[in-house]
Amino acid sequence: MDDPGTDDIARKFQRDLNAGLVALVLLGVLAETDEDLYGYDIAKRLQRVRDGEALFKEGTIYPVLRSLAASGWLSSRIVPSYSGPPRRYYRITDEGRAVLARWRSVWRDTRDFVDQFTGPASPQTSATDPTP
Amino acid sequence: MTADTTPRSIDDYLAQLRRALEGADRAMIQDALSDVEEHLRAECAARPGESEEAVLRAIAGSYGSPEDVAAAYRETERTVQAAFAPTRPTATTAVAVEQSALRRFFSIWGDARSWTSLVFMLLSLVTGIFYFTVVVTGVSLSLGLAILIIGVPFFVAFIGFTRVLALVEGRLIEGLTGERMPRRATPVAPGGWLARIGAMLRAPRTWTTLVYQLLMLPLGTVYFTVAITLAALGLGLLGGSVVGLLQGLGFEVVDGWQTSVDGTPLSGLEALGVALASLVIGALLLTAMLHLARLVGRIHARIAKQLLVAD
Repeated sequence: MDDPGTDDIARKFQRDLNAGLVALVLLGVLAETDEDLYGYDIAKRLQRVRDGEALFKEGTIYPVLRSLAASGWLSSRIVPSYSGPPRRYYRITDEGRAVLARWRSVWRDTRDFVDQFTGPASPQTSATDPTP
Repeated sequence: MTADTTPRSIDDYLAQLRRALEGADRAMIQDALSDVEEHLRAECAARPGESEEAVLRAIAGSYGSPEDVAAAYRETERTVQAAFAPTRPTATTAVAVEQSALRRFFSIWGDARSWTSLVFMLLSLVTGIFYFTVVVTGVSLSLGLAILIIGVPFFVAFIGFTRVLALVEGRLIEGLTGERMPRRATPVAPGGWLARIGAMLRAPRTWTTLVYQLLMLPLGTVYFTVAITLAALGLGLLGGSVVGLLQGLGFEVVDGWQTSVDGTPLSGLEALGVALASLVIGALLLTAMLHLARLVGRIHARIAKQLLVAD
């Protein structure tokens, strides 16, 4: 708390980045499966992929799911649950798949562009992407 | 920073979230609360045997604090929606400020909540009579049976029934006025029968629920009377003015129609004036009725929340 500096700044930067990324990731998760998924399920899938600290808080994916549904890119239905309140299940729509395809290419271009200037690792020594 | 305010239960978390979202759009708050509740209950179900407090502490880092979650909803409302759906007129509040007072006054006709609140006012006579009957019957039978052994189970069953009714009333109020009310009955405290009965008798909500249900008779009567009177008066004036206007313009809508004030027939021009005046008054009256319904809906929801919902 004495040093509100770097941690807070990093967190804020992450939040700013996430504004669009969360939506992209969620569309990606839902496009990968044929099942309907509910928020908790999606959150756990993201956690499983990335062990340790999550890129974004689980609680923050729900508003994005809702806004994606409001845009018609996800369809949702409510299913009663034994363990508590009813659950809202989401499924990607054809429109959503089209949007995702566009976003993917935007994301790839953006990533390549950003890496060009800031990549700490040059493309040859990239730690995250072992494939040539 | 959040060390001492870490929520200790799901309800605690929801209360903090509600506080963090204060002033935001109602529907958004409701969405946020139900999303969070859904997730946290699922998390608890996935970790059987752990207390809510332990589960909340375990996921504090990965799930986010009430403030984090609130910020995400506000942010999404502000940016994502604006960027994703620019054609949707979401910023109604900003527009409303710029509209003229007259337009704002009449815009209530398009407000679904005022219509549903009106339905609530009309319905509350029926529900009020029902609740009142149940409570009076239940209390007097409980007192009468108190000397017999059957008195105790009867009283317990009666209180249980009033709780179910309170839950149903809550759903009705949430559906019609938008005020968020509990979705499930509060869980019964653990322990033996005697402990449960004791807890039930000590809970202030048990008694405030009865008070609410008694109160619904006079309130319901007033709501119904006011709503019906204003609606009948307004519609009557509108209907009369339409016929009067057509008649004044030379259409024979009703045979032998004569616009008169206190039995004195009016000339054509005067009749037209009276018709116009009653058109305006009728429209104003109906609009005022809708505003009143909205107001009653809000106030009543607040009363219901005080009396029916446990702290």
